[in-house]
Amino acid sequence: MWSNVTAAFEKAFALMGEGNTLLNEIVATTMEMCVQSSLYAMIIGVPIGALVGVARFPGRRAVVLIMRTLMGLPAVAVGILVYLLFSGTGPFGKLGLMYSVELMVIAQVILITPVVAGFTETAVAPAYDAMRDTAAGMGLNKAKIALLAVNETKYQLVATYLFAFSRSIAEVGAVQIVGGNILHKTRVMTTAIALNYNMGQFSLALALGIILMLIVLGLNVVASALQAGLKKRNG
Amino acid sequence: MVEISVTKKYGERTVLDVSGLRFERGRIYAVMGSNGSGKSTLAAILAGVIKGNGEIIYDVKKPVTGYMPQKSFAFDMSLTANMLLGRSLRERKEAKNKAMRLLEEFGLGEMRRKNAKKLSGGETEKLALARLMMDDCELLILDEPTAAMDVNAVERAEKTIMDYFERLRPAIVIVTHSPAQARRLADEVIFLDEGRVEEKGSAEEVLATPRSDKLRKFLSVNG
Ligand SMILES: Nc1ncnc2c1ncn2[C@@H]1O[C@H](COP(=O)(O)OP(=O)(O)O)[C@@H](O)[C@H]1O
Ligand SMILES: [Mg+2]
Repeated sequence: MWSNVTAAFEKAFALMGEGNTLLNEIVATTMEMCVQSSLYAMIIGVPIGALVGVARFPGRRAVVLIMRTLMGLPAVAVGILVYLLFSGTGPFGKLGLMYSVELMVIAQVILITPVVAGFTETAVAPAYDAMRDTAAGMGLNKAKIALLAVNETKYQLVATYLFAFSRSIAEVGAVQIVGGNILHKTRVMTTAIALNYNMGQFSLALALGIILMLIVLGLNVVASALQAGLKKRNG
Repeated sequence: MVEISVTKKYGERTVLDVSGLRFERGRIYAVMGSNGSGKSTLAAILAGVIKGNGEIIYDVKKPVTGYMPQKSFAFDMSLTANMLLGRSLRERKEAKNKAMRLLEEFGLGEMRRKNAKKLSGGETEKLALARLMMDDCELLILDEPTAAMDVNAVERAEKTIMDYFERLRPAIVIVTHSPAQARRLADEVIFLDEGRVEEKGSAEEVLATPRSDKLRKFLSVNG
């Protein structure tokens, strides 16, 4: 058993070392999807989370509850939903997006946006409580106060982005259904892993998993270096 | 300029119940009282950041108000950026000079590029006070603005407050535990007990010859 794991590590580094074109293609498709999914999820989710975080209205708790529940959306269910909406007979079937990276991004944005919004709300709400009296006492307007509350949470936002990216790169249920794991088109690392597993090529599957983790590690290294730089600049 | 009559309840408990309290421009008011007597609640309601039951009547229009909560807060950015919050780009240049001058006055000039989150409690208080003085207020509400400062800093802060007062003649409402500070700054004293005005009047009289037992006790304990 253990030899399988060592073999997987060896295979992972061999694959990366030899400059395997198929691997490069899959990694490129994966990155194309992840960068878009995570960015769009942030662009939509952060303002929603921030708005709910700073707004005080009756029913706010219900909204937060719904948001947190949506954080647990099952990927497969989102995949099926998007499939039904975008397949030939579905309401958006005419767009012809079935089995495309675009549709994988759409499914992932639906999946990840609630997580981003939920994390943002959780960070912004207490930050807002801590500073609102001070900010209001300075005569700042509501929009400015909301922006300042978000500014107070910028480190959590970096963490949220990393989580969004990780969720996107590691997700398989939704992209399998709406992407179809088509070679040279929609095959990404997770669907390739699943395929190799189904074909009984455990060590190759695991090797791809290791490469995936290395990409996430690389991103985290870059992010923490950026954070350290930011901290330093802020003296 | 402004007259306030409000009650504030948390659950069943009434924490503030005042009526006909007036604040005029060109006067400094010290609000005193023991912990939990409702000082901060009064300050926050007057500042409009929390709501009470009752009314706040302005003689003409709502005055330009600055409010410093008891817990002073530093925004996650440089001291200078803290000072310039809410300035339009147009006024930036002038505001920058003013910010620099105020930071110097509070002894924070050297640190102006530092992130304000790194400041100590006393320094944060100085920043909060300096930041508020960027605006020309008609009503300035300060909730224990010097509680975390050392003796030298208190002296400096009081001087800056008095300069500001002489320049703009606003109404200043300052919550303080220190009778000495009230004596140095205030024209009038409002002494709260369990949310009610136990005694008020000119600072000189009230502090020298308190009528109420509670105020006498408060003064003897607080020096
Ligand atoms: N948000 C709140 N919820 C419940 N009780 C509160 C709240 N804010 C203040 N109080 C209570 O109201 C009373 C007066 O508070 P405060 O005005 O802060 O007193 P102080 O004179 O010490 O500034 C205190 O007993 C405090 O516990
Ligand atoms: Mg208080």
